[in-house]
Amino acid sequence: MSGPDRRSRLLQLAAGAAFLALAAVLVLIVITAAGSGDGGDTEIEGRAAVAKLLDGIPQRQMTLGDPAAPVELIEFGDLQCPVCAAYSEDVLPEIMETQVRKGTVKIDFRNLTIIGPESVGAGAAALAAGEQGRGWSFVDIFYRNQGDENSGYADDDAFLRAIAKAAGVRNLAKWDAERAEMTAQVEETSQEAANLGFDGTPSFAIKGPQTGGIKLLGFPESAGELEDAIEEAG
Amino acid sequence: MSRPSEGTLQRAIAFLAALGIGVAAYIAIADANSGSPVCLGGGSGCETVARSSWSHLGGVNIAVFGVVAYALLLATAFFADDLARFAGFVLALGGFGYSVFLTYVELFKIEAVCQWCLASAVLMTILFGLCAARLIVFAGAPEASPERA
Repeated sequence: MSGPDRRSRLLQLAAGAAFLALAAVLVLIVITAAGSGDGGDTEIEGRAAVAKLLDGIPQRQMTLGDPAAPVELIEFGDLQCPVCAAYSEDVLPEIMETQVRKGTVKIDFRNLTIIGPESVGAGAAALAAGEQGRGWSFVDIFYRNQGDENSGYADDDAFLRAIAKAAGVRNLAKWDAERAEMTAQVEETSQEAANLGFDGTPSFAIKGPQTGGIKLLGFPESAGELEDAIEEAG
Repeated sequence: MSRPSEGTLQRAIAFLAALGIGVAAYIAIADANSGSPVCLGGGSGCETVARSSWSHLGGVNIAVFGVVAYALLLATAFFADDLARFAGFVLALGGFGYSVFLTYVELFKIEAVCQWCLASAVLMTILFGLCAARLIVFAGAPEASPERA
């Protein structure tokens, strides 16, 4: 093939490739915008806010904060509970900023299912996310996307998968396989809460050098009350 | 204005591809260490993007694919024949198209911007321009002796 012919052929191929690439990008964007890409997380809200809130704070299983923090705040919550959701947005962020980031306290989330059986599947999914260091991200994003209690959303596979994706769970296959195994743990912590006398969510307990074991806080209504309890425990 | 020689374009492509390898490798290494790239200006954009499920394809961090693409682009800069010109164009076109898509995802799906991803997108955009110019201007030209890039 002569030089000019080869040049003409190459430029034709290049134009065709450019057209295909443009079409491919447009199709990808349209599919993604429609939310039918790979799990449909388009309706999940609050991921950026949660990422900002938890940015730089260690997450290990369901514990948020420095594992060596002297004080441990234990929250018993139900992912379907609207009061827990409000608490996680209105009260806990202050504790995270003033206490958790400093390494003086860590917060442990434990499931206490009181709203209904769907909370068990949701709680197990959160625990499985915790196995990949995204437990608190899962819980906080779940709270921001709550639906009506026991309406079928809370243990819906597609919804939970979308929350897991938004939380940054990397190995969704592993998460999916492990969440079924976590049901027993959800029931164990619910029983633990009942043994402590808790029958509502959120309920808090605290452990620290000054508490001499676990101390029940119940439902501290403000960040100030929680801060006082943390100070006394430390 | 005089037209740049193919050698000049090759050197520019090699330089930018090497930069791209550095950027993509940094993101990939940060991910492999279970962390995320650090945004130089502060903020959580880099961690948010790195933690999103969009950052992985088939369990592999997309920055790894970026390293491979930049390395191949670098390789094309060392040859001055039509195969290298066309291969460079196709690689840069693919990289540019995917960068456009990822930037869309960052802005409208993840709602966070990672400076390192943006830097890579800018590099890939410039590389696409250079590779397209190289192909358009020099396609069909006699094969030159190998250039030092």
